Amino acid sequence: MAVREIILYPDPILKTVCAPARFQDKGLDELVQDLIDTMVAAGHSVGVAAPQIGEARRVVVIDVSKSKLGRDNNHGLLVMINPEILEQSGQETFREGCMSVPDYTGNVTRAENIVVQFQDRGGNERVIRATGFEAVAIQHELDHLDGFLFLDRVSSLKTDVFRRKR
Amino acid sequence: MHHFALTIIGRDRPGIVSQVTEILFRLGCNIADSSCTILGGQFAMILIISHPAYSSRESFGDAFLPLEESGLSVFLRTLKPGGELHPEMRGEICMISVYGSDKPGIVYQVTRELGERRVNITDLNTKLVGSEQRPVYVMMLEAVLPEELSPEDLKAIMAQLQQSLQVDISVRSITPVEL
Repeated sequence: MAVREIILYPDPILKTVCAPARFQDKGLDELVQDLIDTMVAAGHSVGVAAPQIGEARRVVVIDVSKSKLGRDNNHGLLVMINPEILEQSGQETFREGCMSVPDYTGNVTRAENIVVQFQDRGGNERVIRATGFEAVAIQHELDHLDGFLFLDRVSSLKTDVFRRKR
Repeated sequence: MHHFALTIIGRDRPGIVSQVTEILFRLGCNIADSSCTILGGQFAMILIISHPAYSSRESFGDAFLPLEESGLSVFLRTLKPGGELHPEMRGEICMISVYGSDKPGIVYQVTRELGERRVNITDLNTKLVGSEQRPVYVMMLEAVLPEELSPEDLKAIMAQLQQSLQVDISVRSITPVEL
C-alpha cells in the first residue's frame, strides 16, 4: 500500500504499449492498491493508469463518483485489468488535462457510450456499459496503456468554430 | 533571460511561419508561447520569444528586414522581467457565444459588461459570416471569472444584455478535467 509518484512526460514509459497483466505475476494486487492509493492521494484525480506510476502493465483504476461531472452516473471504483473497448457510439467533447502533462489542457472528442470488457481485481471477467464522463475517463486511462496521451487526441484549438472548411 | 513579444502580420501565403522561424532559429531565439491564425486574408503571428544574450530590440539588428521586404509587418516589444509568466487564474472558466445580425458595438457592449466585473478574457475570436445582405456576427470568447462571480451570475447578466442588444448569447461553464 503506497502512494506512488506520478510519472511526467517526457518519460518514455508514457509512450509505451503496455504488456498484458497476468494474475500469476507477483505484485499485481499491490500494483492495483498503489494505483488506488495514488488516485485517492491525488485529490481530484478520477483515474490512474499503471504506466503513470512507472509500470508498463495493462491495469487502470477509475472512480468518477467523487467528481462533479460523474457523481450521478458511474460504477464507483473500477479496477480494470487487461481492459478492451468492445463497442463505442456517440461523441462528446471535454476539456481534458492529465496529471502526467501538467499545465496544458485541450478539447478532446471521445465516444459518449462504450462497452468495456476487463478483468476485475479478483480476476473475474466483466463487461460494463459506461456513458458520459465515466466513459471519457475510461477512454483516457485506456489510452495510456497504448502509449497515447490526450495530446494525441486533441480535436480542436480552444475555439474551433471558425476553422471549419466551407 | 529577456523576453520579447514579436508580432507579425501580412497577406496570407504558404511559408510565412517557416520564414519567420528560420530567422529566429538562426539567431538562437527560443519560442515560448505563440498563437498564429488567419484573419480575413491576413496571417497574424504573435510569439513570446527569448534569447540568452539579447536584452533590447537593438540586439536583433536588422534580422527582420527580410520579412519586411517580403511584405510582412513586424513589431517587437521588449517585456519587463516577469512579463512572460502566465498569471495564475483560479476562477471558473466560461465560454461565451454571441451571435446575431451584425450591428455596431456587439464586441464593446459585451466586453464592457465583462470588464466592469473583472472577468478576464483569455481568448476571443470574431467572424463576420452570412450573406452581404444579411450579415451575421459571431463572437466566441473564453474568460476566467473572478471568485466572487458565479457562472449563474454571468448567465443572468448576459441574458439581460441579450435583450437590450438583440443578439443571441449563451454561456457555458467549462470544467477542465484532470484525468
